Amino acid sequence: MSDYNIIGKRMPRVDSRAKVMGKVRYSADIKLHGMLVGKIKRSPYAHARILSIDTSKAENLPGVKAVVTGKDTEGVKWGVFGYTRDQQFIQTDKARYIGDEVAGVAAVDEDTALKALDLIQVEYEQLPAVFEPMDAMASDSELIHEDFPNNINIHVNIDTGEVDENFKKAHYIREDTFTAPEESYFQAEPYAVVARFDEDECLEVWCPNGGPHMKSKPLSNSFKLPLHKVKIKKIAIGGAFGGRSEICPADYICALLAKKTSAPVKIIFTREENTIATRQGHAMITTHKTGVDKEGRVLARDTTCYMDGGAYSSTGPIATTVPFLSMEQAYRMESVRYNGYRVYTNKPIRGMIRVHGRGFACGLDTQLDMIAEHLGIDPVEMRLRNSRQPGEYTNTKSLVSSCAMDETIHKAVEKSGFKEKWGKLPPFHGIGIGTNSVQTGFPMGIRGGSQSFIKFNEDGEATVMTGVVDNGQGNDNMVVQIAAQELGLLPEDIHLVSADTETTSSDPGSYSQVSTFVGGQAVKNAASNCKKKLFDVAAKVLKVEPDTLKAENRLIFVKDDPEKSIPIKKVVRISLLNFNSVNAEGGYWPKVDMKREWVSNPYGQMCEAFSFGTTIVEVKVDPDTGEVEVLEVTASQDVGKALNPLVLEGQFEGSIAMGGQGGMLTEYHEWHEGRCVNPTMLDYKLPLACDMPKINNIIVESIEPKGPYGAKEAGMSIAMSAAQGYSAAVSNAIGVHMDSFPLTPDKILTAIKNKKQQDTAK
Amino acid sequence: MEKLQITLNINGKDQALLVQPNDTLLEVLRDELDLTGSKESCSEGICGSCTIQMDGKPVRSCLTLAMEAQGTKIKTVEGLANGDELSNLQQSFIDHGAVQCGICTPGMLMSADALLSETLNPDDTTIRQALSGNICRCTGYSKIVEAVAHAGKPEKSCPDCQTKE
Amino acid sequence: MRLPGFEYLNPQNLDQTLDMLAEHKDEAKILAGGTDLLVRMKKGLLAPKYIISLKALDSLSYIKDESDCIKIGTRTPIADIIASKPVQKHARALFQACEKIGAVSIQHYKGTIGGNILQNNRCHHYNQSDFYRSGRQACHKDGGKICYAREEADRCNSTCQSDGATALMALGAGLTLAGKDNKREVELANFYTTDGIMPFAMESQELLTEISIPKTNGESAYKRLAYRSAIDYPIVCAGVLLESDNSDKIVRARIVVGAMGRAPLLLANAASKLKGKDMNDQATFKDAATAAMSSAAAFAVHNVGSTLEYRCAMVEEMVLQALKEI
Repeated sequence: MSDYNIIGKRMPRVDSRAKVMGKVRYSADIKLHGMLVGKIKRSPYAHARILSIDTSKAENLPGVKAVVTGKDTEGVKWGVFGYTRDQQFIQTDKARYIGDEVAGVAAVDEDTALKALDLIQVEYEQLPAVFEPMDAMASDSELIHEDFPNNINIHVNIDTGEVDENFKKAHYIREDTFTAPEESYFQAEPYAVVARFDEDECLEVWCPNGGPHMKSKPLSNSFKLPLHKVKIKKIAIGGAFGGRSEICPADYICALLAKKTSAPVKIIFTREENTIATRQGHAMITTHKTGVDKEGRVLARDTTCYMDGGAYSSTGPIATTVPFLSMEQAYRMESVRYNGYRVYTNKPIRGMIRVHGRGFACGLDTQLDMIAEHLGIDPVEMRLRNSRQPGEYTNTKSLVSSCAMDETIHKAVEKSGFKEKWGKLPPFHGIGIGTNSVQTGFPMGIRGGSQSFIKFNEDGEATVMTGVVDNGQGNDNMVVQIAAQELGLLPEDIHLVSADTETTSSDPGSYSQVSTFVGGQAVKNAASNCKKKLFDVAAKVLKVEPDTLKAENRLIFVKDDPEKSIPIKKVVRISLLNFNSVNAEGGYWPKVDMKREWVSNPYGQMCEAFSFGTTIVEVKVDPDTGEVEVLEVTASQDVGKALNPLVLEGQFEGSIAMGGQGGMLTEYHEWHEGRCVNPTMLDYKLPLACDMPKINNIIVESIEPKGPYGAKEAGMSIAMSAAQGYSAAVSNAIGVHMDSFPLTPDKILTAIKNKKQQDTAK
Repeated sequence: MEKLQITLNINGKDQALLVQPNDTLLEVLRDELDLTGSKESCSEGICGSCTIQMDGKPVRSCLTLAMEAQGTKIKTVEGLANGDELSNLQQSFIDHGAVQCGICTPGMLMSADALLSETLNPDDTTIRQALSGNICRCTGYSKIVEAVAHAGKPEKSCPDCQTKE
Repeated sequence: MRLPGFEYLNPQNLDQTLDMLAEHKDEAKILAGGTDLLVRMKKGLLAPKYIISLKALDSLSYIKDESDCIKIGTRTPIADIIASKPVQKHARALFQACEKIGAVSIQHYKGTIGGNILQNNRCHHYNQSDFYRSGRQACHKDGGKICYAREEADRCNSTCQSDGATALMALGAGLTLAGKDNKREVELANFYTTDGIMPFAMESQELLTEISIPKTNGESAYKRLAYRSAIDYPIVCAGVLLESDNSDKIVRARIVVGAMGRAPLLLANAASKLKGKDMNDQATFKDAATAAMSSAAAFAVHNVGSTLEYRCAMVEEMVLQALKEI
């Protein structure tokens, strides 16, 4: 596989030079002539009917250029799916959470815009609000959305049959319930959007996005503009983690203000707005009932999960399913039944997040550890007996082609010294293992594929056009790396045009771990097609057959006789002199089951590849304070093929910080009557440099036959398994299997005290 | 509100400016001088994305009044490189993969640069402490700490240190 | 987030500062490092008409090692205190507390000891944005009549989370307050009201100028608990001071618990358990720590994170750890 001179190398990212110089522009950095400041008026009530809105005072304030309310909209409801269209971009009838959009203003400066917000008078009639899914389902007061009885937004039911029969055959059965509250993305960049209508009445928008084409469609619907007149522009993005994937009401409000004022408008969210008015992770209550045979193999599992979805659907059907998918991909089960309920509450909207379902996943692994303990099996063996193997089908009928789950386990076990440490560590010192699997992509219908264009310039350099967006994870570099490798150029020879709806084709976006697999593959195919054209010309010059040629370092040469070569630049010029430009297109459409649907038909090929990850964590717990010191984390993932180990390690390490250190120890939201008590960076506890442990990265390559160079997804199954590894390690240290996450010192101390009392009682 | 005339010395250059008393240094840098390298991420002095240097010390510009910055030598991320020539620290950030989304990077660089100007060979703990006021959501900090440790001091055992001949 | 408008005043010496304070009284606020004041202003918790900057008052930045005390000017950066040999030697609790304030990059310039002592009380129902606080009744500290942290409370239960004040109170520190026509000294322990709305017993025209830490034969220590090892305010903290005679008998003890009430709590009852006991009597330490916990528990409400039960339990632990360290 060392056939590559660029792929697989530790290549520093192409975007990092501009970033370390402070030159890169993010949405908030944009300045346009005559630009106005936009602000959004939000509901201070969790559930309230809007009786009237008086904007006259605000409109009369000097410096205010426009005020918009629901009246300016067509009352159109938006939703990711046809059956989830439940959200207006500005509310007309009622507000459903504290932060819901009720009006927008544009003014000459921020001070004026803020004053104007205060002058907008909204008359509300407060309605009874519900803040917990169980309360919401039982509530007999006004529904949050009238078409959804019991406030149940989505119900996903998966049943592969024979669950009850298999429970009867089981040697040992456990049923346990696990809970975890909401968490948040806390992207370093607070949400910001700039919009203007250009001289051709095209709408131009700059904003963080998980895929520009996912933004243009709803905007084109709302403004009744053809798609080509909505231009989502390329812009640097400061983190996403799943929280930038959909249209944001602010995009629409900003565009509406721009339309009304005929001026560019910029809206920048406060940190609090970014927390409450973009997306959050779902709080979940998960019950796993598992039956195993004598060897610990899972015969039957019945899982029920209640998710607090907040006020609107968002990606509800996907969100309700994904925790289940990770489970069925990572572990074999003879039979399984799943009931996932996403329930509306009067809280901020919940979306997909990097560790989606920490309580679900950690609960699953905790229960496996409990079963293992009962059977006298160690946690590693327990996982190996249930781990996914290549060539198998998941319960919902997805073929898993490449899979090195076992190798990730073995390598992490060896590196961490798990076997030597398990059961032999001093008191309050623990080690734990977590394993998980993440899907590379979802069935996305007409938006499931990606297409790329490449054109050569006369100087022998190439322009690559792709819809792939970089949220900060390094997708721009990934695309350049692939194009350079394939075309035989150097990375600096590639000019990238990406994530811009005007110039690039549709792409599934960067939120289903699919950028490399689909978008990267499309670029590879386009480059390969382009290379063929170069080879045809070069072959004639070199008087050889095209298939004897290879391109590398700006040269095309004969594989078996490298002295026989011609510069690519020269090939391009020869081609042009012969009336042929050098360009090509290429695409990739994953062969998924298009009939698979999240709710109506949750069976069939989900995606083409799955990643597998193992994280082993070693901790020391202070028995007097319940504080956790993480000594070492070993992360091992089957990524298919590491295109760039430098970038990949960064994904592992960031995953451990977010999924493990933050997600399992400190991060959660606290509420007071629908208000998010900790929306800020002071009160929401993100991990700091001084608190992060030593990390060992292990890259496992299974070479996925369908992936570009064998690549799959990078880092997500570490984020998930890190959460599981952290919780397992803490449980091991204190001798109590924890069922409420994250594992904050107060919970740990209580568990230690209760155990002490029980032990004394015995 | 009445604007006041002040002079700020930024990246070695005196700049005459008209500001309001309630303008923060961050707002003036970004909005008046178009030095948008410094970022506003939390706006309350926690995340460190707005960190600049005043007289060589890292300072949060979101909690510094522009008025209060008079008479100090201000350095921003835009002033780290010498023209097109990056500082060792900047180059090290690139080489070690310490940059992901890039929002925390400018502040991180300014804190680290201040540390390196005071401490020649900071150990891991010292670096982590010096960066404890700069929050990064992407990297897990490992590569940032490595980049600071190896800035201008290539380590043979490090696969990412450029050993330029 | 935007700061509200104000007039910026830049006095060049102490007299000018005190004149301005005397003239503008409640309408003026003192700006030292700004880490507390400016954030509260951004959140709309206050909007002073005048900001009086201490920027030019280098005369308030000093550490003097005198024969019977250490004197610290209130504008002294936290970093200078951490680096001070006399502080490390005679006031270890303060040194340990200062090490924990903010982050390294805040301690040298933005964080001043005066600012740390005068940081306003906090409450997670109050230290929120204008938007957060809209759509509900105002709490006591916000000009209203209710308390979201403790039902039916007739006054504000905001919490003092100052590391510096807790340590300094344990050390028996005194403060110098200067007004235009008067100057007074007050024990830090007597500096607090029992009112969370205005926690400090000082007049609006007064300026905190100096902290004086008496030198004793005793040893002091400070322990705190927070979510993370930097940035965060403590959710519980303890400062202790023990003085012993030649035979290792404790002759004087001070136990102060912070982040549990409207002010750092000087717990005489807990300290009395130690008097006359042996310096190495660990069982007595435990008694004192338990007593500290029961006293402090009466004051605390759930308003600065974690759980109340946990914070109360941790009072005992922090006091015990601090005592053991001596």
